[in-house]
Amino acid sequence: MFRARRRTVITAATVAAVLLAGALAVTLLTQGNGNASDSMIEYPAGHRPLAPDFTATSLTGTPIKFASYRGKTVVLNFWGSWCPPCRDEAPTLEAVAQQYAPKGVAFLGDDVADTPVNALVFDRGASISYPSVNDPGYAIVQDFSQVAPISDTPTTVVIDRTGHVAGMVLGAATYADLTTLLRDAAVTR
Amino acid sequence: MHAPRSTESAEPSDEATGSFGQDDSGEAGSGTGGTSGPPAASAGWLRWGWRQLTSMRTALVLLCLLALGSVPGSVLPQQGSDPAAVQQYYASHHWLAPWLNRIGLFNVFASPWFAAIYLLLFASLVGCVVPRTFRLAGSARTPPPRAPRNLARLPHSASYASELSPEAAVDAAASVLGGQRFRLRRPASGDVGHDAGHWVSAEKGYLREVGNLIFHLSLLGVLIAIAIGGLFGYKADKLLVEGSTFADTTSALDEFHPGRLVAGSDLAPFSLTLDTFTATYLTSGQSAGQPESFSAKVTYAATPGGQQRTDNIEVNHPLSVDSVKVYLIGHGYAPVFRVTNAKGQVSYEQATPFIPANTGTLLSDGVIKAPDASLGFMGVFVPTAVMTNGTLESLFPAADNPAVSLIGYSGDLGMNSGVPQSVYQLDTTGMTKISGSPHLMYQGQTWKLPGSRGSITYVGTKQWVSLAVTYDPGQIPALVCGLLAIAGLLLSFFVRRRRMFVRAVPAASGAGSVVTVGGLTRSDASGGFEDEFASLSAELAGQDRPAPPNNQSETGA
Repeated sequence: MFRARRRTVITAATVAAVLLAGALAVTLLTQGNGNASDSMIEYPAGHRPLAPDFTATSLTGTPIKFASYRGKTVVLNFWGSWCPPCRDEAPTLEAVAQQYAPKGVAFLGDDVADTPVNALVFDRGASISYPSVNDPGYAIVQDFSQVAPISDTPTTVVIDRTGHVAGMVLGAATYADLTTLLRDAAVTR
Repeated sequence: MHAPRSTESAEPSDEATGSFGQDDSGEAGSGTGGTSGPPAASAGWLRWGWRQLTSMRTALVLLCLLALGSVPGSVLPQQGSDPAAVQQYYASHHWLAPWLNRIGLFNVFASPWFAAIYLLLFASLVGCVVPRTFRLAGSARTPPPRAPRNLARLPHSASYASELSPEAAVDAAASVLGGQRFRLRRPASGDVGHDAGHWVSAEKGYLREVGNLIFHLSLLGVLIAIAIGGLFGYKADKLLVEGSTFADTTSALDEFHPGRLVAGSDLAPFSLTLDTFTATYLTSGQSAGQPESFSAKVTYAATPGGQQRTDNIEVNHPLSVDSVKVYLIGHGYAPVFRVTNAKGQVSYEQATPFIPANTGTLLSDGVIKAPDASLGFMGVFVPTAVMTNGTLESLFPAADNPAVSLIGYSGDLGMNSGVPQSVYQLDTTGMTKISGSPHLMYQGQTWKLPGSRGSITYVGTKQWVSLAVTYDPGQIPALVCGLLAIAGLLLSFFVRRRRMFVRAVPAASGAGSVVTVGGLTRSDASGGFEDEFASLSAELAGQDRPAPPNNQSETGA
């Protein structure tokens, strides 16, 4: 009788201990799942994924063919006027666009889940000179996510002169991020 | 879990009466959960712990805990499925809610303790099933045991006189039993003593072990299927307004819960447009206002630029596209607003989803953020507006007389600070309230804001649906394995292992022989063996009579 009870107590204690250990293990395992901080990805020349081609309509209604940018380095910014980090980084993008325009670098925005009215008001207010295409249903994002890990807005992708993805900034881009990516994207072979 | 062994052992030392199959052997350690006390050495402790974990008792306790653990998941609102209800719970139980949250009760199925239970259950089942599978596989291959010496002492026995020599009589019997698809065993050259006489052992019902094996393998299959679903599957939510489209890509999804091995490029590249959403409600009777049907008419393409198809997603009729299922899980209203700034320029024009606060009348809360006009609004939407004692209420969930009541704010919305915000919340810290009382607007009306700050127009009303996008590659394998497990279990329940033994000795008269037939089956199996034994032994005795000598050539298999 005593032995049986002791056995039950030991069994229960073991189960509890193993449960606790399991809980601890799971907690440790799941901790790595937190929000990824803003980060930069670069692809060395020769290992750059080919950027998908697309045709879309700009916020003002002009058709834009991505293929027509071939031969230039392109900075493609995925953004929305509803997205505070996107609004925050836009002036930086504009400054870099102005600075690099003479070096054959073109900037293009991909305005997602937005209305052209809202986006244009923002662009005018923040004096953004580069165009954006209207992508309310994330179609272009979907195309790009097949080759590069775009997980959220804002994301800024730098495409080299040959049409390959040279690198990207996940989250709000800084001046240093963009100039580093543009410098490295200039090396295409 | 100790099944009683066959108690009818005539000769306990004889293997003939040994265990049928291996269900109940080798269990002393793993099956009984603590027959042996905890040993002293640390390796022994480990082994003892593993035995405890893989014991049937622990598995049952864990299964019970799993069931108990999911109770709060269905009683309390869950963050994953209904975050708004969790907030409501917080509001009404401000003392209790933080404590419940601390032990993960608002997200039970993702909580560490729940994961611990199922991981342990997983380990326990695998640890129990794998060794059993090997034992069963061995048991399904074992030949019948040698015939015992004295068949008359078996629970079923008969004997008859044969005109054939003992060898021929046994051959004849073997041919009958072989024809009945018994597995046979004859004396081997090395057998001595009574093992070396004229006998045949026959055993049937190996399908029982096959069924058992299928059951155990299928259990493993179910576990693997669940693991595959957890690693490679994903679940996401998407709020979609009528007329808008979304592409199945991580940044387009509102809530995305990928499995551990899911990359962004693994998502099925479909896109889906919500054309219209129709909800019908009972208009009379006691349950007036109760929903009658929901239907979301959608257009979708399985691949970018692929063929466009249409479908109606209803409550129990999800859309299947590229092995992804899209379920309709909620709906609401998205009034369309146009906001102009102080200069009269349109700064915001958009259908703005409002979230139902009352699921019966669909009175909904929402915010409008027009950062480029420095205006923000907070308010309620009512689909069928009535004023009762100066309060705006909704009478019916259909949009029969839609109205909004807004409180305006002007100033900095904090949207250029770079800090992410919820689209359903307005941060008014840097803003000033525009007017005293909320402003009521019906569809088509414009509110000119005081002080030439601009205006807001309630342009129209759209509806939105909440969609659950789920991909579970383990679903079909789990179903197949579940069905196989049941089939295997039934097979092992209804098929009986039974053994027949035939021994022949020369007759005392010198010519012919005396043949003894013995039969044995598991005591706990369903009855009916007596009849089978009787007819088999009659057939054996009958087979003997014509005694065609050429019969010998085809026996001996």
